[in-house]
Amino acid sequence: MDERRTGCADWHHSRRELVGRMADTIVPLDGAALDAGAAALAAESRGITRRKALIGAGGLAIACSALPKLGVRGMFEAAQAQAQSDPNARILVSIYLDGGNDGINTLVPIGDARYRQLRSRIGIPDADLLPIAGQPFAWHPSMAGVKALYDAGKVAVLPAVDYANPDLSHFNSQIFWRTGVVGQSADRSGWLGRTIDLIGNTENPLQAVSVGWGLDPILLTRRAPVATVFDPGDFGFWIPGVWQDDAALRPYRAALSGARSPARKSAQRAYRSAISVFDQLAGLRAEGDTPPAPPVAYPDDNLGKGLRNLARILGAGLGTRVATLHQSGYDTHDQQSTEHAELLKVLSDSLVAWQADLDARGLSDRVMTLVWSEFGRRAEDNDSGGTDHGAGGLVMVIGNHANGGVQSEFPGLTNLDGEGNLLVTTEFRSLYATVLEGWMGVPAAAVLPGVDGRRLPLFR
Amino acid sequence: MSTRPAPTVDRVARLRVERLYWRAGFGALPGEVNALARQPIGRVVQSLLTPRGAQLRRGPAPKVDGQPIDPFNEWGHDVLWWLDRAVRGRHPLVERMTLNWHDHFATSNSKVSDAKLMLTQYRTIRAHALGTFRGLAQAMLRDHAMQRFLDLDNSHKRAPNENFARELLELFTLGVNNGYTERDIREAARALTGFTFDWETKRFGFDPERHDAGVKVIFGRRGNFDAADVVDLAINHPRHAPYLCKKLWGYFTPRPCPPATLRRMVSAYRGSKTQIKPVLSIILTHPALYADLGEPDQVKPPIVYAAGMLRKTGRFVTFRDWSWLLDDMGQRPFYPPNVNGWDQDTAWMSTASVRARYSAASRIIKEMNIEDGSLSANQTPAKALEAALAATGDPWISPQTRAALMRYARTSVAGRTEKWEVKHYFPERQRVLRHLLLAGPDAQVS
Repeated sequence: MDERRTGCADWHHSRRELVGRMADTIVPLDGAALDAGAAALAAESRGITRRKALIGAGGLAIACSALPKLGVRGMFEAAQAQAQSDPNARILVSIYLDGGNDGINTLVPIGDARYRQLRSRIGIPDADLLPIAGQPFAWHPSMAGVKALYDAGKVAVLPAVDYANPDLSHFNSQIFWRTGVVGQSADRSGWLGRTIDLIGNTENPLQAVSVGWGLDPILLTRRAPVATVFDPGDFGFWIPGVWQDDAALRPYRAALSGARSPARKSAQRAYRSAISVFDQLAGLRAEGDTPPAPPVAYPDDNLGKGLRNLARILGAGLGTRVATLHQSGYDTHDQQSTEHAELLKVLSDSLVAWQADLDARGLSDRVMTLVWSEFGRRAEDNDSGGTDHGAGGLVMVIGNHANGGVQSEFPGLTNLDGEGNLLVTTEFRSLYATVLEGWMGVPAAAVLPGVDGRRLPLFR
Repeated sequence: MSTRPAPTVDRVARLRVERLYWRAGFGALPGEVNALARQPIGRVVQSLLTPRGAQLRRGPAPKVDGQPIDPFNEWGHDVLWWLDRAVRGRHPLVERMTLNWHDHFATSNSKVSDAKLMLTQYRTIRAHALGTFRGLAQAMLRDHAMQRFLDLDNSHKRAPNENFARELLELFTLGVNNGYTERDIREAARALTGFTFDWETKRFGFDPERHDAGVKVIFGRRGNFDAADVVDLAINHPRHAPYLCKKLWGYFTPRPCPPATLRRMVSAYRGSKTQIKPVLSIILTHPALYADLGEPDQVKPPIVYAAGMLRKTGRFVTFRDWSWLLDDMGQRPFYPPNVNGWDQDTAWMSTASVRARYSAASRIIKEMNIEDGSLSANQTPAKALEAALAATGDPWISPQTRAALMRYARTSVAGRTEKWEVKHYFPERQRVLRHLLLAGPDAQVS
C-alpha cells in the first residue's frame, strides 16, 4: 500500500499486529475475506458506486483515506441518498436481556415432571401459567402479550441456545455472544458491526443504531460509521449558556479539515459522523417533546422508551439496517420470583407495543426482532429463592415473517450437564448464521468465520 | 495563570514538553510548561523516571457532591478514584505506566466484583510500575483480583484451569503463537494449580494437596516446576524481551519501532534483569516521539483526555458524571472490555465517544460559570480567543482550527449591539471558544 497515495500509514496498525491475533488459529477473523465479501456484495447491490467498489477492493486503508474528503455537508447528503436508495431493506433489531435470563421460567417446560422437583422454591403454579396448546410448554404469567404474538404465529422460540462447554461467566459469555466468536479474540468487532461493514456504507452512521448512550459492542465495526442515539429528539450538542446547538457547532464544522496523521483524521471523521447524525435527525427533533402517540402505549422504562424512540427513527426512513437495545436486571441470584415477573412484564408489554407501532408505520414486514441473553440459569433453584448462572439460554425471534413455534430442541430436565445445567442443543452461531442468511441476505461465513452449515427454521 | 510563552522559551521546546507530558502523563500543568521547556529533554525524562516526594499534589482531597470519593461503597466512585489520582498525581509517569500495565494485565471488576481487590491490584501495579517486569509479573500471579479474573483460584490438579496459563503466554509475556505450543499451556496450567479461594470466608490461599507437584515439560525444559517457575520460564524465553519492549513502545507512539532501537531496548532490558526504566528511557528520548510536533499523531485515551482537561483548566474531580462520561468514551478504569485490554489510538474515536468527549467539555464550561453580562462589547475577537486559550491551558491548535475560531469570534457577535445581546452573546462566544479548545478535534490528539 502506497502510504502517500492513501494517506493511511501502515504504522498506524502496528499495535494490533503486535498483539497479533488477527491471524490466530483460534479466531481466524480474516480481514481480507471480509473485504472481498464486501466487494462482491457491493457489486451485486444496485446503485454501486465507485467509492464502494474501491473500499471493497482495497479495504480499510482506502476507506480511511477516502472519508476525510467528504465534508459534513457531503456526508449528510450521501447519507440521505443512501437512506432513500433502498426503502424496503430489511431491518434486524437485537434486544439483549442483560444478566442471564431464566429461560426455564420464561417458557416453562410443564410437560417435564422434573420441573416441580427442581423448582420447588420458585416454580410457577400451574394455575398462573399460560399454556401453549399442543406443546409441553407454558408461558410465564407476565408474558401474556408475547403469548398473543406467539398465538398469531409471529414468535419463533428457541430453548437451550448457547455454545459448547459454556463457562458460566457473564464477562466471557457476553463477549462471545457480542463478537460471534467463542474464545478470546483481539478483534473486538461485534457480529452486527461486521454485518454493517459488509452491507453498509461509509457515509450513513444511522445505518446501525445503538439505542443508548454508549456504543453497544455488538455494533463495533472495523470501518463503517454507526450511530449511538437514545432519544432522537434529544440528540444535541449542548453547551451550557449557548442558546442554539447550531451556533455551538458552527466553528466545529469549520475545524474539520487539514489533518494528515491517522489520529487527527480519526478525530475529524468521528465529529463529522456525529454531526451528520445531528443533521439527519433534524426532522425528528422538530417534533419536540410531543411526538405522535404510538397506537399501544409503551411501558415507561428504558426498554419501552428505547423501542419507541427506535420506531420513530425507523419511521423517518434514515436507512437503518440494524439496531440494538438491552434490558438490565436478569441476574436473579435471589428473590427471583417478583423481580423476574416485573422484568418479563416490561419486556412482553414493550414487544407488543413495538409490534403494533411497526404495524401502524407499515414497517412490520421489514423488521425482525431478536431477543437473547448471555446464558440461561441453573435448572435447580437455590436457597435464596433465585437461580445461579446456567447454560442453554432462551431466544425469541419475533416478526411477521418469523416461523412461529418452538424451533429448537429442548433437552429436558432429566439429563443435565455436570454442573446441573441444561444441555446445549443449539449453538448461538447457528442462530446468527440463520438470521444473517435468512433475513439479512448476508453470507454467514463472511461475518462468522468458520461457522458450520447448521441452520434453523426461523423464517417464513 | 500565565500561559503565553515567555520570549526566552523556545516554542519548539514547549511543544516537545507538551507532547512528552501527554504521552508519559496526563498533560503538563500550565504553570510548569515553561520551566520544563528550559531544560534539555533528557533531563525532563530523567526526572519523570525518578519521581521524588509526595505522590499527590498538595491540598485537600476533592469532594464529589459534598462527600469524599468512596470507591468501595458509592457506584462509579472507583472510576472517580482513578481519575483523581491521574489529576492530582505528582509522578505522572508512574500513574501513566500504572494505567498502561492495567491495560497489559487487564483485569475487570465486571468479573472480579470486588472494588477492594481492584484497588489492591492498582497499588500493586503502581508499586512495580517502574521496577522490574519480573517483580510485576510475579506480583500479578499472586494478585487476588487477577487470580479470580483468570480462574487461577481453585484450579485443581485434577482439572487444571488453563485460563491464566494461556494469557500469561499469549498476552503478558510472549505474544500470540510466539514460541510456545498448546502443550506448553497445558503443562504450565498444571504448575499453576493449588491456589484456593473460599467464597464463604473470602480468603485466598494455597493448598499443596491441590497443587500438581509432578514433573512438567515447558518450552522443552523438564522439572518439578511451580507457579513462580512458570512466570520465570516465560520471562526468560528468548521471544519475551522483544515482545514486551515493542508493546511498551506502542503505548507512547504509533510510529514503527526502528529495528536498531528495538535491539537497544532488548539489550537494556535483559542487561538490567528486566528493569523497565532503561526501556522507557530509550523510548521517551527517541526522536520518533517528537517527530512532526505540528501534527499530533496519537489519540488521547479517555482517561488521559479527561484528566488532562481538568489539569489544564486547574480543576479537580468534583462531580460523579465522570463515571458515565468515561464509560461512554469507552474507557472505565477497572473495567477493561476484555483480557486484551483496550484498543488504543484511533479505535478510541467513534460517533458515540466523541459526543461523550463533547459533553465532558460542556460540564467543564458549566463549572467555569461564565455569567451573562460578565464581558463587555469592547472585547475584540483576538482578545476573546486569547482569553479562551488562557483559560484552557493554551492547547495546541492547528491553523485550520485557529482560523475557524477567529472567524467564529468575529461573526458570532457581529451586529449584536443591543444591550441584551451584548449581555448574552459576548459570554456565549467565550463559552463556545473555550469549548472547542477543550473538545474540538485537535483536543483529541497529542
